[in-house]
Amino acid sequence: MLTIKIKTMKYFLLIAAISSTIFAACNNSNTTPSKGGSDSVQTKQETPASEAKSTTPVKDILAGYIQLKNALAGDNGNDAATAGKTIVDAFQKFDKSALTADQKKVYEDVEEDGREHAEHIGKNGGNIPHQREHFDMLSKDMYELVKTFGAGQSLYKDSCPMYNDGKGATWLSEVKEIKNPYLGKKMPTCGTVKEELK
Amino acid sequence: MSRIKKILLGLLIVFIAIQFIQPARNKNGQVIATDISKIYSLPQSVQATLKTACYDCHSNNTNYLWYTNIQPVGWMMARHIKEGKEELNFSEFGSYSERRQLSKLRSIENSIKDGSMPISTYTIIHKNARLTKEEKAQIIDWAKIIRDSLANKN
Repeated sequence: MLTIKIKTMKYFLLIAAISSTIFAACNNSNTTPSKGGSDSVQTKQETPASEAKSTTPVKDILAGYIQLKNALAGDNGNDAATAGKTIVDAFQKFDKSALTADQKKVYEDVEEDGREHAEHIGKNGGNIPHQREHFDMLSKDMYELVKTFGAGQSLYKDSCPMYNDGKGATWLSEVKEIKNPYLGKKMPTCGTVKEELK
Repeated sequence: MSRIKKILLGLLIVFIAIQFIQPARNKNGQVIATDISKIYSLPQSVQATLKTACYDCHSNNTNYLWYTNIQPVGWMMARHIKEGKEELNFSEFGSYSERRQLSKLRSIENSIKDGSMPISTYTIIHKNARLTKEEKAQIIDWAKIIRDSLANKN
């Protein structure tokens, strides 16, 4: 009698073990990492007003973007992915409370789109062409942000006429010399400076 | 009972048990005001292609096949749909900002062009979702027209 009981117990344990693994596996894939950002918003320290004057509120996003641009110019998909994640982080930590109503409107319009592009870039370390497609669109978002909030540093808007089957694309650079993030090492100096931003 | 039999029996019980956990269905049954067909002109041929090849994962109306009632197939399907809709939802296209609509249209063009969509794990089963050259060209042309009209507006 006892042995039977033990045997049935074993069944249940086995079933429980199997089903819990299945559930665990399914649940894991459902939890999205994007949640974490909301907590960090609260814990973010207030920047002193004096410091905020000399810099731009989009400083962190821009820093990630520049990092991304340089990674793509060097044909480095993994570094680009890391930079993409940095940008997603910067978007999530962004403090909207100090913005005027107009600024807020621009930011919110750009944010969702830009964050999505950065997410894609972050997830596609092995697919540089795909990263570049999103970088093209992200560059337009970044330009909009810099135009609205200022760059806080010298910045150049460059243009590459060859990318995307001759349709061309633009990007932002912290240096005056051309380092093409679309064509990479294949044609590193293709492109021209279109605009100087401050 | 041998050990193998016990394990098989255990698996069978698990299999039966999980059949009772049915994921919620992605079936709205109606075309809402934000649907892409309500805000942009959509040639019939393109709409038909979108419906057969895209809407299962990229709209609020999935056309379920019988085996999606079997778990864990239904769960996998539910996850695909969730991810697909997060990326692009034709039923809610009108609620996207213009900036995002432009991005989405461009990504539609790109993913059709490079063949990353419709995804191969889907076309294995859904043979009619394998797009012909003409169907691809129609979607790309259509997306381009909408994109140009959006860009010219600004």
